[in-house]
Amino acid sequence: MARDLAIDLGTANTLVYMKGRGIVLNEPSVIALNRQTGEVLATGHEAWQMIGRTPGYIVAVRPLRGGAITDFEITERMIRLLLQRVGVSRFTRPKVVICVPSAITEVERRAVTDAARRAGAADANLIEQPMAAAIGADLPIDEPVGNMVIDIGGGTSETAVISLGGIVALEAVRIGSFDIDAAIQNYVRREHGIAIGERTAEEIKKEIGSADPTGDDRQAEVRGRDLMTGLPKTVVLSPEEIRFAIEDVVSSIVASVIRCLAKAPPELSQDFLVRGMYLVGGGGLLRGLRERIERETKVPVRQSTAALEAVVLGAGHVIEHYEALKGMFMGARR
Amino acid sequence: MIWVLVGVGIVVLGLAVIALNRRRTPDGVATFQRQIDALSPEARRPVVQRLEDAGRGEPRRDDGTEAPDAGEARGKDDLDGA
Repeated sequence: MARDLAIDLGTANTLVYMKGRGIVLNEPSVIALNRQTGEVLATGHEAWQMIGRTPGYIVAVRPLRGGAITDFEITERMIRLLLQRVGVSRFTRPKVVICVPSAITEVERRAVTDAARRAGAADANLIEQPMAAAIGADLPIDEPVGNMVIDIGGGTSETAVISLGGIVALEAVRIGSFDIDAAIQNYVRREHGIAIGERTAEEIKKEIGSADPTGDDRQAEVRGRDLMTGLPKTVVLSPEEIRFAIEDVVSSIVASVIRCLAKAPPELSQDFLVRGMYLVGGGGLLRGLRERIERETKVPVRQSTAALEAVVLGAGHVIEHYEALKGMFMGARR
Repeated sequence: MIWVLVGVGIVVLGLAVIALNRRRTPDGVATFQRQIDALSPEARRPVVQRLEDAGRGEPRRDDGTEAPDAGEARGKDDLDGA
């Protein structure tokens, strides 16, 4: 008998929670394929190492963008491999709960559930990421008080107000930490005339990226390809430059949080001033982002202790209490 | 005699229809209460505890059926950033 699973099928990382066991898998959502034969060569960490470094016949891709499946067939293969790695076979078909962005379309929802069923799930249900994040971040969502959660992922940023086990207000934008990486890539290309890969951009973000001045003046040495000469070139970037480069993306994320606050009923709004908002997701780890949101909204912002795992933990809790919580699945409330 | 049997049949059929209807209509109050109870911090504790145990490298609190696969389960200290 297969153990039921909860999957956080993120644009950046995929996490799998197994009923009764906890998180059993946490890997980048990347798959490497042989372009000629279509054969899968690697997934997860191994495939991530290959991004931008493959010979012509290998392609390392992220089959999800903005939280949505961009390549159905590849996503299905990736899910199938993930399920195999956690012990699912054609004879053991578990129930699966998958976390997805709340703003996905009906077609995208069907694509995810179909991919999971075809990959070996007996039944696949979806739950909104902010709801799962609020459960996983241990917020008191069972009480009639306003809980606000800001989930910044690789491809989406979602802010939700949750009370009594349901979403009261929601604001989602298809902007996430990958857009921050892309903004850094564009800036370095435009201002310094060198081309860098997405992994280098991510490293720069982690090294010196910030959404608000942090007092840390460390600079980063970046190597890339000179666009004029084609030769390798090194440039030094400052935190101010990176802040300037990512300003548009950060502003859009903060603006979506403000829009969500504006949608909240007044009775719940007052709770935020006391209880604060909770920041989860990998994108929320950007230095200075918590302070920036706090400064612009005048509402305290707290970082969840399990920022990266909150979503899958929440979905894991739902799979542990499947019968009691099945009313929370997307589509079940219609 | 036949009319008695028909009468009994109708009553039994009526009761069966009522029983089926009751089963089909979920009790909103009970369902909602069950959902709220399942979302309580006490109910969520074991899930959060599993992550904390994994972070400390302690054995998982399983129901005693299987040991965790070494190298597969990762705690928050092992996780990559965004």
